[in-house]
Amino acid sequence: MSKKTKLLFVAMLLFALVLAGCSSSSSTTEEGSGKIVLKFLHKWPEPENHPYFDQVVKEFEKQHPNIVIKTDAIADGPIKDKLRVILGGNDVPDIFFSWSGEFARKFVRAGAALDLTPYLNKDTAWRDSFIPSSLQPFQTDGKNYGIPLDLDAKYFVYNKSIFKKYNLQEPKTWDEFLQELDTLKQNGVTPIIFGNQDPWAAIHYLTGFNQKLVPQDVRMKDYNPKTGEFTDPGYVQALQMFVDLNKKGYFMKNANSTSHDMAKQLFFAGKGAMFYLELVEFPDVEKAMKGNWGFFPMPAITGGKGDQSMITGAPDGFLVSSKTKHPKEAIEFLKFLTSKENGSKLTTQLGWPSPVKGATTAQNAIKQVAEGVDGLNKADGMAIWLDTDVNAKVADSYLSNAQLLLDGTKKPEQVMKEIQKVAKQVQSESE
Amino acid sequence: MKTLRYNRIAILYILPAFLLILSFVFLPIVYNLYNSMFRWSSFDAAKTFVGFNYYGRLFKDPVFYISLKNNSLYAVISLVFQVGGGLVIAAVMEDKLIRKFQPFFRTVFFIPSVISIAVVGLMWQLLYNPEIGLVNGFLHAIGHSRWAHSWLGDSNTAIFAVIFVSQWQYTGYMAMLFLISMQKIPAEYYEAAMIDGASKIKTFLKITIPQIREMILVGTVITVIGAFKVFDEVYVMTGGGPGRSTEVLGTMLYRAAFRNDEMGYASAIGTVIFIITLILSLLQMKLGKSGQEV
Repeated sequence: MSKKTKLLFVAMLLFALVLAGCSSSSSTTEEGSGKIVLKFLHKWPEPENHPYFDQVVKEFEKQHPNIVIKTDAIADGPIKDKLRVILGGNDVPDIFFSWSGEFARKFVRAGAALDLTPYLNKDTAWRDSFIPSSLQPFQTDGKNYGIPLDLDAKYFVYNKSIFKKYNLQEPKTWDEFLQELDTLKQNGVTPIIFGNQDPWAAIHYLTGFNQKLVPQDVRMKDYNPKTGEFTDPGYVQALQMFVDLNKKGYFMKNANSTSHDMAKQLFFAGKGAMFYLELVEFPDVEKAMKGNWGFFPMPAITGGKGDQSMITGAPDGFLVSSKTKHPKEAIEFLKFLTSKENGSKLTTQLGWPSPVKGATTAQNAIKQVAEGVDGLNKADGMAIWLDTDVNAKVADSYLSNAQLLLDGTKKPEQVMKEIQKVAKQVQSESE
Repeated sequence: MKTLRYNRIAILYILPAFLLILSFVFLPIVYNLYNSMFRWSSFDAAKTFVGFNYYGRLFKDPVFYISLKNNSLYAVISLVFQVGGGLVIAAVMEDKLIRKFQPFFRTVFFIPSVISIAVVGLMWQLLYNPEIGLVNGFLHAIGHSRWAHSWLGDSNTAIFAVIFVSQWQYTGYMAMLFLISMQKIPAEYYEAAMIDGASKIKTFLKITIPQIREMILVGTVITVIGAFKVFDEVYVMTGGGPGRSTEVLGTMLYRAAFRNDEMGYASAIGTVIFIITLILSLLQMKLGKSGQEV
């Protein structure tokens, strides 16, 4: 071999080394110092929300000097996609955010989530500190996989001065509701503010309609990917009710190209009478409208075959990775996060209702949030967001068709046929 | 046997690049094909063999044809505006009357293409907004309120609204490429044409275009392949909506992989995109008889 070729080989070898260096990622550095590192992933990077988690983490680290917590936050929209990629990688967070229902269940089925039942059973005081309906949505086959952080529910928020002007009451039934919408429209007021650029907004309506129009046992069977058929006529009726709201001009114009946030601003500016909003958004409403607002749950639909007293909503919470090396410490942190003290801080600082019994009270929450939680306790239970409660593909079909229902390109029957087809396919794949 | 020795050294020189391309381009293509034959999700270790089922499903999927149509629309409109329009803009800028201001116009036309696509997407989302957007505002101002429209919210207009943004962004870039190669054309040709009394349009057709043929070909290949690989503009502005009306192959792949947990289906879509772009570029290279320059 000539000198030149030797040199070339050395160069190539170096090059290969550099490449190899790229692949092995830097492993946890603190491990060397004898500390346990827990990776914690949540979905609230917003500057108004993030400090709460920072504070809890700092407090926890102070009490547990041998544990270091690395927090990461990804916003609501992107985390739906990124969580799947992250969990497939080698660098899985020990504790990660998840919606309840099917969204969490698919991680359970894939064996990515740790069964938390033994830990909850060992510490019954902890288990019993939660409002029961908040733990239940994280259950699969009777086992608990998730710990709830907050409670969220959907209510119609209304502008009090507009309601007063036209002498309207909080409606008890859907027919009353429609009548009021009509009154508003006749008087040139936009009845419902609605931003459907991201179609989950429409899904929240459909969650409620499905729950009220489809018998509970049929709905639960259909939402299960293994047995889902979606053949009940209630589903088409639900879509039709949604379309009718738009056809009769009760929704604001251009809902498909208005984002939820922009719609919120319109509502705050008094450009419409009602808005279907989440409990966790109540603090924003209070900030902008200063008491000039009230709320009511989606009115009961007379003759509807489903459950009329459930409320659309779900707890948000955390799962523990099945790959974690420190399950005990992870549970320790979750216990700390859901202590009554931190639960009530969640309410005071962020205005969010906590699933921990007695953490959200009339004293530390704004009046309407406390009432909303009260409403939840009175309701039969929660109907989890449709797009997180059914298989991802069925959800996707619902999501993309919601916009087409609004702009009139598709009819409810057509959409339902499509969903039935997807459900069948999902069924055949989940054997 | 001197040549053989030289050859061996030559091969050694090529080897690093070859290995790189092999491991980062060709292996993934093959691996992707392999992946497309399994049902699997990113977070689940279990893989189920399904053979070529996903390809069968893809060719029956109506969204696939919507995507193909949208990608083709992208390609055709981009060819007209970016390559055609870019050529005209470049020729005008090279004209003696305007050449003095050329640096100014060059910058103006080039600026859109250096802005990040996320920023451009959000900006146009606001411009298109039916309530507060500039586009409808402009239409109202010039008294054509009946043309005002929910541009991105209507499934009939959304794809055109998205494609238009691409044209706005990249026509200037193409014009710049053409301008550079136009400046390499010897001035004598134009002088001769002038003496012969050729009109400006004739000069453009008979001298400019043949002289920059290679660059036009490169531009065409870039735009057409770009049109079939497009993802970010669509993802940022509409996410494939309303419904599936603005779905392109790229967003369809993304949706399959990261929304619907069907990595195998996504791999199948990826393979199809690869085949389409491969055929298109081979076709163009053949038609353009490229290979002499650039």
